[in-house]
Amino acid sequence: MKLPSVPVRIVAAAAVLAWALVGLVVREGVARAQGQEVVLPITGYDPRELLTGHYVRFQFRSEFPTGTPCPPGSGGYSRRTDAWVALRRQGDHHVATGAALSREAALKLGEVAVRGDIDCLARGAPETTWVILNLGVDRLHTDQEQAEAIQKVMLATRDGAATGSAVVSVGADGKARLKGLTAGGRRVDLTWF
Amino acid sequence: MASYRRRLEQDLEGWIGRGLVPAESRAAILGSVGEARRLDAATALAIIGGLLAGVAMIAFVAANWSDIPRIARFGLVLAVFLGAAGGAAWASAGGRLVTSHVLLSVAALVFAAAIGLTGQIFDIAGDPQAALRAAGLAAALLALAGRSPWAAAVGLALLALGDFTNRSSFAGGQAAWLGWLVVAAPMGVAAALAWRSQALAHVAGIAAILAVMTFDDSLRSRADMVFLSASAVLAAGAAAARVLRDRFEGPAGVLYGWFTWGALVWFGASGFGDHLKGVGHSIAWLALSAGVVVLGRHDRHAPVTAAGVIGLFAAGASLLFNLGVGLMTSAAVFGGAALVALAVAWAMRGRKAA
Repeated sequence: MKLPSVPVRIVAAAAVLAWALVGLVVREGVARAQGQEVVLPITGYDPRELLTGHYVRFQFRSEFPTGTPCPPGSGGYSRRTDAWVALRRQGDHHVATGAALSREAALKLGEVAVRGDIDCLARGAPETTWVILNLGVDRLHTDQEQAEAIQKVMLATRDGAATGSAVVSVGADGKARLKGLTAGGRRVDLTWF
Repeated sequence: MASYRRRLEQDLEGWIGRGLVPAESRAAILGSVGEARRLDAATALAIIGGLLAGVAMIAFVAANWSDIPRIARFGLVLAVFLGAAGGAAWASAGGRLVTSHVLLSVAALVFAAAIGLTGQIFDIAGDPQAALRAAGLAAALLALAGRSPWAAAVGLALLALGDFTNRSSFAGGQAAWLGWLVVAAPMGVAAALAWRSQALAHVAGIAAILAVMTFDDSLRSRADMVFLSASAVLAAGAAAARVLRDRFEGPAGVLYGWFTWGALVWFGASGFGDHLKGVGHSIAWLALSAGVVVLGRHDRHAPVTAAGVIGLFAAGASLLFNLGVGLMTSAAVFGGAALVALAVAWAMRGRKAA
């Protein structure tokens, strides 16, 4: 069999790669749109602080009264690829109710299961208990003005209770995908435009 | 070491001057030498100009990035990639091979950037290692399509970066025992020889040395044996490249140098483990280095000679450390080694004179 000429092969390879990139974007977009929506509290995070370029870096962190016990499984499955976090609705947002090593086990602990793990810091009075979720999502890219405004709000309350929330889509694959972020009265939604 | 082509060019001038060869045969004789084409100054300047124009365009777009809708940004990224690849195809159709290779390399780099930018534009959280490996595979695909050694070099570099980038805990699946360089580097070597590319030979040679460092912890538990095996494999590669120099002069010569460096480096590293550590290893390292110096001088191959000289220094230091003795003993050991070297040199000189 005779191979096509070099120019034809280059064009074919470029077309395959371009389609692969478009396919990735469409697949992620569909998964984000079809996923189950959860709202999680966030705080500012990063030793350098929030911005390098035009993105906001944040942490899924909830603060609970002193003496609140850590959710079951927290700290035990740190950065494991097979770990799942269970979430339960509480008012207008969701809270972590535990971590497990399978989706089924996680769903026994809460109504939504998402890939990730939990770090927990239970401290004595007068300190509070911190529950931090690692879901593979920790930043939002946005334009500079928007990012700096959000940074200002989140920096001011960095060590306190959450001052913002992130809207996350949990897909059929259990992966968390960011849909939007609210902080200091500003809302950023991830759309095609 | 002057290349065969350069020596032939000089000889041809003399032969033509003496009337031994007709002047009109000059181009045909030089054209029959299978060596990679060299860039002239004008082409090099054109390449630099093209790259600077690309940087200027990127800076302009970056300055107005926030004002462009997401979907338009993505379209722009794709258009730049397709433009570079299309330009490469067009240049290839017109027989402008250097331009085609440059544009394919740019396309490979733009695609790597496109993966990162797409993740940023649509906030797609991904695994950095997977992104780099995907970019490396894309560059390899473009290299194969266009028979472009420079795009292949870009691909190898991206795969190497992928091997040395931490894997995300959200990547799924199990981590591999070996890095992708273990397979990619030999393929790069084969491509460098097939396409007569010294640039790709440099990248593939370095990749072959670095591939050893991508082994998983489970293999590193017997690091000395792994390093010794790697040294043996690279030494065999150096021997093969040395033999192949007549057929693939440029790239084979480059690989001969890098493989020799790799063989000596990993042989030295194997002596730092508990099993092979000792005076015996240091003496063997010293002897191998001395042999490499002799080989490098014999072949008039500066990188090989340099590898041997550096090896001698390192092996000497290792021997002193392993002996753990006073300066008098060290002086005796080095004095003995010097006498052996001098005796061998005298014997070789005598045989040559005879």
